[in-house]
Amino acid sequence: MIRAANHPAGILGTGGALLFVLFIGLPVVALLVRAAQQSDFLGAITSDSALTALRLSLITSVISMAVVVVLGTPFAYLLARSESLWARVVDSLVELPLILPPVVAGVAMLMAFGRNGLIGPPLESVGITIPFTTMAVVFAQIFVASPFFIRSAKLGFQAVPKDYEDIAQTLGVSPWRTFFRVTLPLASPAMLTGLGLAWARALSEFGATMMFAGNLTGETQTMPLAIMSAMETSLDGALALSVMLLAGSIVVLVLLGLLTRRRWQSR
Amino acid sequence: MTAQPAHEATARGWVQCRLGNFNLETEWEVAPGEVLVLFGPSGAGKSSTLRAIAGLLHPVAGHVEVGGRVVYDSQDQVWVPTHERKLGYLTQQYNLFPHLTVAGNIAFGLEDRNSSAAKKRVTNLSDLFQLDGLADRYPWELSGGQQQRVALARALAPEPAMLLLDEPFASLDAELRRTLRREIRAMLVQSPVPVMLVTHDREEALALGDSVQVIDEGRTLVTGDPLEVLGQPGQGRVARLVGVENLFDLIVHERNPRDGTMTCIGPGLQLEVPLDAHITGNSTPEGQQDRVTVAIRASDIILAKEDLSGSSARNRLPGHVISIESRPPGYAVTLDCGQPMRCHITGAALEEMGIQTGQQLWAVFKASSCFLVDEGQGPRSDLPVDQQPL
Repeated sequence: MIRAANHPAGILGTGGALLFVLFIGLPVVALLVRAAQQSDFLGAITSDSALTALRLSLITSVISMAVVVVLGTPFAYLLARSESLWARVVDSLVELPLILPPVVAGVAMLMAFGRNGLIGPPLESVGITIPFTTMAVVFAQIFVASPFFIRSAKLGFQAVPKDYEDIAQTLGVSPWRTFFRVTLPLASPAMLTGLGLAWARALSEFGATMMFAGNLTGETQTMPLAIMSAMETSLDGALALSVMLLAGSIVVLVLLGLLTRRRWQSR
Repeated sequence: MTAQPAHEATARGWVQCRLGNFNLETEWEVAPGEVLVLFGPSGAGKSSTLRAIAGLLHPVAGHVEVGGRVVYDSQDQVWVPTHERKLGYLTQQYNLFPHLTVAGNIAFGLEDRNSSAAKKRVTNLSDLFQLDGLADRYPWELSGGQQQRVALARALAPEPAMLLLDEPFASLDAELRRTLRREIRAMLVQSPVPVMLVTHDREEALALGDSVQVIDEGRTLVTGDPLEVLGQPGQGRVARLVGVENLFDLIVHERNPRDGTMTCIGPGLQLEVPLDAHITGNSTPEGQQDRVTVAIRASDIILAKEDLSGSSARNRLPGHVISIESRPPGYAVTLDCGQPMRCHITGAALEEMGIQTGQQLWAVFKASSCFLVDEGQGPRSDLPVDQQPL
């Protein structure tokens, strides 16, 4: 325990913590208070436009998370176990979307898959159109959210000693099965943390989606886009959608907290 | 189950590996139920030998037989992956899987973990290693000794054709080590597999080893009976490696063939030691001076408060106590007998005699407790390791 009175970090630290909690908490409380003051909060939440946006957000984020987990897990494992220069280069590339402004990501994706993009026309000639479709929403989400999962999963795999895998193989378990019986379970808390962060990022994705997928109701208009559109017409609708997204974030946080608690870590 | 159990085959082989700054070259042969101890300093290549046998390290060349089956041969391009080699491998870090219970860990390598046969096997092994009642515990809920027992049970569960033990007890206390050694011995009676044990603990090598192989810098210096190799090693290099405490460079002063002894002298020191006739190429005409290295184990020296003039011991050297160090389970007392001489005594003896620094004592030992070590150039490369002179 650090005692505030005689620790140099004490007074400033405590003050900072208080200010920070206020700074984060006040807007959240304000959002909830204003939403509660609404006459027809329930009606706004269950309105057609709100439910459509919610459904689209859920469907697209689930699909992008599935893609991220299925492709990102072996990739993260490779990054964790490989010591080659090649792996280190790829490793830093993976993190590029973290620092790239999402709007730039959207423009970049248009330049790749758009009508005048690099591989847009050949794709179109075989009947695949990506920009301004639901698939573009998924693309944008994968682009911005995957680093959160891959980074976290990589750290999780790195924390599993190679010795465990060696021992498992001396016990007659093939490398493939060792991965599923030892490595994956041991790395799963870190992977779930990464998945939660990635999911939250995918749900809140705005800039790249706006650029690359547009704002078409029922097709590319996810929750954040719907909130922006609602702000232009009715504050009430925007408030309702915001509260839903906030609730969703809290649910993700709580689920994560529950799922990543590992029995074997309580030493 | 095959007609002839795989674990009843001799494990043998040789490997050459490149390790950092030296080449490792070892060969071995272990009969079922026997323990071959690989003894040597850290970094000598003992662990790498085990890892090469397990297939966790790729040798440059070699031939490895486990359970009567060739699992690696550089010439015939045979490479059986680790999980098909049927080995039990145990290290100092128990490496129990933290997400599995004791029962889950022991059953890890079993084919059908939910079958009644598997459950019975787990129960049997739990009994053998005194783990009853711990089946549902997690590794972090166990003591170090229990963890190592679980690791041992887990390694044995799939009935390995060979057991590789890499300093398995190094992080346990002395009492536990002794208990676990007894348990391993008991286990070997029940299922006689060939065992290779890496250690740098003399006591462990003597207690468990049927034979011992001293390795240094990737080379086998000597292979043989543990008592002989670790007790009175013939080579100076081996003597230093196995921790012979007293080594003196002396000059032969006089040979007494009638008694089978000779008198050797050095700065401030005169010792009666066995005649050096057995050392080939070392015997010189009588009277001629030549150099010898004389070794005495610290535990072969008796400390006395007075000169035991009426005793049969040929060596009685007075000296002042320079230092007293704790060396569990006893103490190491160093006397200045012209040259420092280290003696091991028990705590009780230290107390009874009231030994203190600066006190005058006599170091007493028989001529036959001294042995001569060869300071030659180590192993002779023209002989296979098991025929090299001790």
